[in-house]
Amino acid sequence: MVGTPVLFIAIPLMAAFLIPLLGMIWKELVRIVPGLVLTYLLILAINLLNHVLVHGPIVEVIAGWVPPIGINLVFNAFSGFLVTLMIFLGLLVWVYSYRFKRNVDYEPALKYFLMLMMLITGSVGIVLTGDIFNMFVFIEITSISAYGLTAFYKGRNSAEASFKYVMMGSIASTFLLLAIMIIYAQLGTLNMADIASKIHLMDPKLKIVSYIFFVVALGIEAEIFPLNGWAPDAYAEAPGPVGAAFAGIVVKAAVYAIIRYTYTIFDLSGSFSFLILIGMITLIIAETAAIRQEKLKRMLAYSSIGQMGLVLVAFGFGTKEGVFAALFLMLNHAIIKSLLFFSGSYLTYNSTEKKISEVNGMSKYLPITSLLFALGAFAIVGLPPFAGFWSKLAVLTAAADSNMILIMVLVLMVSVVELVYYLRVVNRVYFFKKEAAVKPQKPTFNGLIVMLVLGAIILLIGFYPDAVTGMLHKATNSLMDKGQYIQNVLSLK
Amino acid sequence: MDSTLFSYLDYAVYGTAVLVMLIGFYGAMVKKSLLKIVIGLSVIDSGLNLLIVAIGYYKGGTAPIFSQGFIDNFKTVSKMTDPVPQALVLTAIVIGFGVTAVALALVIRLYRHHGTLNIDEIKDLKW
Repeated sequence: MVGTPVLFIAIPLMAAFLIPLLGMIWKELVRIVPGLVLTYLLILAINLLNHVLVHGPIVEVIAGWVPPIGINLVFNAFSGFLVTLMIFLGLLVWVYSYRFKRNVDYEPALKYFLMLMMLITGSVGIVLTGDIFNMFVFIEITSISAYGLTAFYKGRNSAEASFKYVMMGSIASTFLLLAIMIIYAQLGTLNMADIASKIHLMDPKLKIVSYIFFVVALGIEAEIFPLNGWAPDAYAEAPGPVGAAFAGIVVKAAVYAIIRYTYTIFDLSGSFSFLILIGMITLIIAETAAIRQEKLKRMLAYSSIGQMGLVLVAFGFGTKEGVFAALFLMLNHAIIKSLLFFSGSYLTYNSTEKKISEVNGMSKYLPITSLLFALGAFAIVGLPPFAGFWSKLAVLTAAADSNMILIMVLVLMVSVVELVYYLRVVNRVYFFKKEAAVKPQKPTFNGLIVMLVLGAIILLIGFYPDAVTGMLHKATNSLMDKGQYIQNVLSLK
Repeated sequence: MDSTLFSYLDYAVYGTAVLVMLIGFYGAMVKKSLLKIVIGLSVIDSGLNLLIVAIGYYKGGTAPIFSQGFIDNFKTVSKMTDPVPQALVLTAIVIGFGVTAVALALVIRLYRHHGTLNIDEIKDLKW
């Protein structure tokens, strides 16, 4: 053992607050320290994940108060897989944005990296914590740093996007707190495992009310359909790498929270079909909205919302195949959507409007970026032999196993819509004549490295899915085994 | 439920908390001025905090502090109010303060960008 799960929260939080002080010593430390921290955390996460896959989950007690009184952190195959994924993406976002804009000097860089570290702390905390109020606190840490990152560019109309996000996020936190208090007033405990073991004592009506409040509150972060008004604006106005951080880190954490509530804490019989319903509505609305977007990043944002809908549908099957498909989809979405945001922000780097029509003919000037964007587009649509194919296949087979033919048909139809709007962009990049107005921008060395790494991972998973499926199966088992989770936490002395 | 546990006072406190929350929702949803929206969001938080403290209240309970005074009066006052909701409210107040501060900073940015606080005139990003 090289470390404990609490380091995932303590180290980035400490780094975030030390960055301004370190910046006084040497300004470059502001950029270097987050990278060192994230590299260390990635090594730690991989080590712990390997340990957990072999020896079983690690439950860490904070400050010596054993659960159900104290706060505990749970690092099992499921949460460990998500933590590793998030920290890996955080590291890539750091490498990419190390010199993202030449004109970003000391002070903006300081704020950017500070808030990025807070964002990662909060998201990792959401996944690791075993206490619902602690999760609320981490959700607020994530939200507040996400508001700040959304409003990062002063030149763009980013404050408006961020204000929308603040309004929805603030009301979401009200609902979350209400739901937590309903559970506390009924059961007198805040520990997830303890609640899960006592949930049958609760009045069914109140159970449904608090579940709905949880889903509404978390649905705002997870971009579920009627609650995702902030997402396209925030993605479009925030800096490019932040879009990747939202799609890869924040949304994953919120989906994790919804899944934890549905699978572990509540035992409502209708909650799985509820997930399928909201997921399906989100998927259809988002993909049809994506096809009529004129701005590239808004299109990517709607596509991201749609993918999250598909993830919820897959979780809603409630079977092992469904959970496996959903986790595979989350992994692929994190990798592929990050690649699309990274390469897409170079395709529209020098344009002010970021319109899709402005990427015309970019392949002649930015051959590698365009190729990687096309790779990402094909992969997310689910064309073989790229990574997205396997996850979509897994969703469809899971639907077939659950006898949900209508879901299969709808998913396939939506995939066609997805194919249309992605191919439209790829077509413009490759076969249209370039317009003189927009100057192409060569990616930085760091940016190129990150995009190539992501492209290589997409191809690796595409040609050799067994590289990840073993881990995903173990994560699936650890999520499905509710009794084991409760026992692991409550048996601590 | 035992009727003595749920008195008129409880109804009054819970009712007030819900009323304050509803006033806040009205402010956040109906008002056109950005500042009033932020005030509304903050009022929702206050109502919720009141509700949470009311949940932890125990009739005739003392403050949940393990002090000399509590030990001396242990025979007469043996009940404490639930300390957990109070601790949660402290956290929630701090978080609400942070969110309000961020929202007000954004209002200043919006005012500089658009020259108005009326949300009807700030709608570049409608979908």
